[in-house]
Amino acid sequence: MRPLIFFIRLFYWFSLRQIRQHPWRAVTVLVGVALGAAVFASVRIAVHASLDSFTRSMDLVTGRADHTITRPGGRVPEDLIAPLLQNPSVQAASPFLSTYTRTREGSRPFLLIGLDPILDRPLRDWQAREENDLDPNWVRLLSEPGTLIIGSDLARTEGWTAGRTLTLVHRQGAAAFTVLGQLTAEGLGLTENGRVAITDIATFQEFTGTHGGVDRIDLVLKTTHADRLSALQTVLPAGTYLQGPGEAKRGGRNMIRSYALNLSILSFAALFVGMFLVYSLVALNAASRRREVAILRSLGASSRVVFWLFMAEGAFYGLVGWLMALPLGIVLARFLLEGVSRTISSLFVRVNVAGMTLSPLEIFFSLGVTLGVAVLAAIQPAREAMGIAPKEVMAEGTAARGGGYRIRHLAVAGLLCVLSVVPLAGMPGYRSIPLPGYLATLLLFVGFALMAPWALQGAGRRFQPLLRRRAGLPAHLAAGYIQDSGSRTAVSVGALVTAVALFTALVIMVQSFRHTVEIWVHQTISGDLFVTTRMAEINRTWEPFPEGVEDYLKGLPDVALVPNRRFTLSYGGFPFQLEAMDFDTFDRYGAFFWLEGDGRRLTDPLDAGEGVIVSEVFANRTGLGVGDRFRTEVQGISLDWPILGIVRDYRTRGGVVFCSLDDLRQRSGGMAWGGVRIFFRERFMARGDAVVALQDDLRLRFGDRLEMLPGKDLRAAVLKIFDETFAITTVLLIIALVVAALGITTTLTVLVLERARELNTVYAVGGSLKQIRKMILWEAVFMVAVGEIGGLLCGFVLSYLLVFVINRQSFGWTFLYGVDWGALAFSLPLIVATALMAALPAMRVVYRSPPATLLRER
Amino acid sequence: MSLSTTTPIVDARDLTRIYPLGDSEVVGLNRVSLTIAPGELVVLKGNSGSGKSTLLSLLAGLDEPSAGTLTVAGYDLLNVSESEKNSYRREVVGMIFQAFNLLPTMTVMENVCLPALLAGKACAPTADRARELLDWLDMDTRRDHRPAQLSGGEMQRTAIARALINDPALILADEPTGNLDSRNGGRVIELLQELNRRWRRTVIIATHSNLADPCATHQVCLKDGAINDSTCAP
Ligand SMILES: Nc1ncnc2c1ncn2[C@@H]1O[C@H](COP(=O)(O)OP(=O)(O)O)[C@@H](O)[C@H]1O
Ligand SMILES: [Mg+2]
Repeated sequence: MRPLIFFIRLFYWFSLRQIRQHPWRAVTVLVGVALGAAVFASVRIAVHASLDSFTRSMDLVTGRADHTITRPGGRVPEDLIAPLLQNPSVQAASPFLSTYTRTREGSRPFLLIGLDPILDRPLRDWQAREENDLDPNWVRLLSEPGTLIIGSDLARTEGWTAGRTLTLVHRQGAAAFTVLGQLTAEGLGLTENGRVAITDIATFQEFTGTHGGVDRIDLVLKTTHADRLSALQTVLPAGTYLQGPGEAKRGGRNMIRSYALNLSILSFAALFVGMFLVYSLVALNAASRRREVAILRSLGASSRVVFWLFMAEGAFYGLVGWLMALPLGIVLARFLLEGVSRTISSLFVRVNVAGMTLSPLEIFFSLGVTLGVAVLAAIQPAREAMGIAPKEVMAEGTAARGGGYRIRHLAVAGLLCVLSVVPLAGMPGYRSIPLPGYLATLLLFVGFALMAPWALQGAGRRFQPLLRRRAGLPAHLAAGYIQDSGSRTAVSVGALVTAVALFTALVIMVQSFRHTVEIWVHQTISGDLFVTTRMAEINRTWEPFPEGVEDYLKGLPDVALVPNRRFTLSYGGFPFQLEAMDFDTFDRYGAFFWLEGDGRRLTDPLDAGEGVIVSEVFANRTGLGVGDRFRTEVQGISLDWPILGIVRDYRTRGGVVFCSLDDLRQRSGGMAWGGVRIFFRERFMARGDAVVALQDDLRLRFGDRLEMLPGKDLRAAVLKIFDETFAITTVLLIIALVVAALGITTTLTVLVLERARELNTVYAVGGSLKQIRKMILWEAVFMVAVGEIGGLLCGFVLSYLLVFVINRQSFGWTFLYGVDWGALAFSLPLIVATALMAALPAMRVVYRSPPATLLRER
Repeated sequence: MSLSTTTPIVDARDLTRIYPLGDSEVVGLNRVSLTIAPGELVVLKGNSGSGKSTLLSLLAGLDEPSAGTLTVAGYDLLNVSESEKNSYRREVVGMIFQAFNLLPTMTVMENVCLPALLAGKACAPTADRARELLDWLDMDTRRDHRPAQLSGGEMQRTAIARALINDPALILADEPTGNLDSRNGGRVIELLQELNRRWRRTVIIATHSNLADPCATHQVCLKDGAINDSTCAP
């Protein structure tokens, strides 16, 4: 105990007082660490809020069911319930239906659940509040058709109260519902944070036109013995399956999880740049306090004590930076929450996030990571301090700076790090987490940072004579100083390299990505009007068109139709869409974005049902490629096709398989259309009022039963989602740059303070303050130039990693690599300007302390 | 040298220290043999560069000899572990430097207490002892000042208190008056003499000045790293 107390006291005397003497150095480092930690923590909080909300909703909806019966691509027949209830293995069975719906007036969508209030009792908890009649509300659900009980969030945000009549829309058109009351805050009532309503199964089927079928039947079994389970499976009709209840949850969770990891690693970049700051300050203190360390050692302090003193200094920056990050992180998380949950909803699974929960685990995790990063950054300087020999107390001056020998060694180590990126880039990821890719990124940054001192030395040496002739003495002196300023300047340059590299790489990636998506949107999402049944897209179930729609559409003049039918299925646990379509007509007006296979030669075989094409994501996720066979089952029909080609598709994180609608119709004995894209035969009509006129016509005829979106609106919406997704990235990026600029500020200021004597000598022999300031500016120019060039090089390698390794492994898609030189050329001078601004405080320091006071220092 | 029959506190045989300097070598100390009995006040004399500091840093356990043997207060300094050497520095020797070598972020009191705390001693008795020493050195009013707020003489007296806090058997002073004016220098020498006479401490003072000559029980003269008794006389 006593050694620990003494150590804390010594840390206070030796380290904290030193920090207090130079508060601004510490504050810059702390702000850098705090920004990094805040970004890291807030991104995690925001993603985890979505993950929690999703998991909770799934759990609430699952209730106590231990098994569930589903029918891929179709509905489970309702009359299965009666035999199931009589089955000796079954303790309880309850049908379940759910769909997103909204009011005709256009409220935000909410989840409507249809169930049998009596059969459901053993499976799920829910209760209605405000029982004012003789009959409880759940009985009235049964006895009064067209009634529902709403969750608390609907009551609060929409202002709906008992007795209120709502008009809700779905595939069958609009229907009137009466609100009976409100659900209590328990069980199903908490699903989607209370943005939910419950209705009787009969009302639900009437409303959605799903008579006789249910989404699934949830079961509580008396036994989970394997023999009994397979016996139960045999009594089920073909095409229906008995599953564990977690299937859907697991798929969704895995997708959000890998997104969470990818985003946390991206946000870690800011913390990583902060690590450079901690390193530079601890290294500075270790170097400038050599003599004091030697005194400590001469008084009998062990080298271990010295090591831990500097480690504790690193930990101090980590801890205090993290504390400063807390309020900032919470503000930032609020800001990110909305964007992150929208991205997850549009790319993965629908989530409704009401608020953030600060789990203690997350808080400790962010503390652990921040502290870990800071301590890690301190190790090297602490080890260096530990090596200071006690005999240095006898020496008159301070020790010489690191020689060229070490600089070359570092550069070779750096080069090796960079080269190791090549084999790593070729390694496969682990369950959609591109671990080798991330490791490669880390090594890339470390490698470039290690080469920074060598590059500075080289640049200084090379340009010194030229600068002398062209830019005068101050530039010449600056070049000389930069040459042997050693690791101290190199660290800030390393931080700048990292930030510029991130910036360059992300600019290239986002631009490449956007460019590719634009091409895809215009080729593949072609069409003048997209028509589906109401609420199909948001529910990701595409029911057949209501009665009469298909025939009416076929009779329209002037248009070509590309009908389709889509199903949400799963392939070995990986969710994907099967889209049956008319290839022949589509080919005349649009095109796939081919990666493998020849589009022109494939149209006929595809139309004839001789095979299918799959999206890149599907191919990367399942490992299937051209020539492999694709097998699945839809509504009890087994399908088996060879894969003929691979196309790009950025619709969802899941994959897509395209097959022939004609072929599917023949195999299934009738397959109604679930959606259609309409092309005007005369292209000029598409630009005129014809689209609007057609929309009005369909609306008049089929009322609320159809969802219609003009092609250009759909394309704009897709691009908007894309931009929103990357808005988060941009925020993270800017913060990393700010942290790097802080690094330059600290370094330059410290360099000036350290050289107070030297600068004063320059002054004493006749240099003007202006010349000294110019010299410092030139030093900044050197650091920024080397950082910028190194960052660009590193950024190009990184962008390649991002596009072809990390995106491929974590999202399954790649895109056309292209460099938008315009965007780079526009943004890089901004970085240069920012970095040079960072030199201002250092130049002011020169101003502030007149030469006479400089003489007195130390 | 000393005729006393007690075991010597310092026993050096053929002590040599060679500094490698690029391709050549500089001889700092050349085959020095020396014994010092407890309770002596030895003045180590010689011109600048004669090897005084080299000898003291070997005695203090700050540096390792290139050849020879060296035993101080029972510690065989060529064959001790790193941790024994740490405790040797903490508890067996007290060192006073020309440049004072106080830690600038700590107060006088903290500087003085540091070696005791490093040795794992309790706080309260250490503080009591430090106050006692500072009173004796007339530093009682400056206990909470930082080194930067002190004069040279005060800094050196703080260093003396620090050297004494662990009651070391051997006190080494390397040019203790080198950075002081003659009045303060005289005062420091008086204090070292008092330590030797009153408290029976063994004291070794390395200096090229004559200030300490009168109080020496013994003089050792160095020239070019070797003992040379003839150079001592002025
Ligand atoms: N660290 C060192 N490296 C190289 N030579 C040294 C070193 N320390 C001392 N010397 C040399 O050893 C000799 C003795 O020096 P020193 O012991 O400091 O003498 P003094 O203290 O008597 O002035 C001198 O020639 C000096 O140059
Ligand atoms: Mg000397």
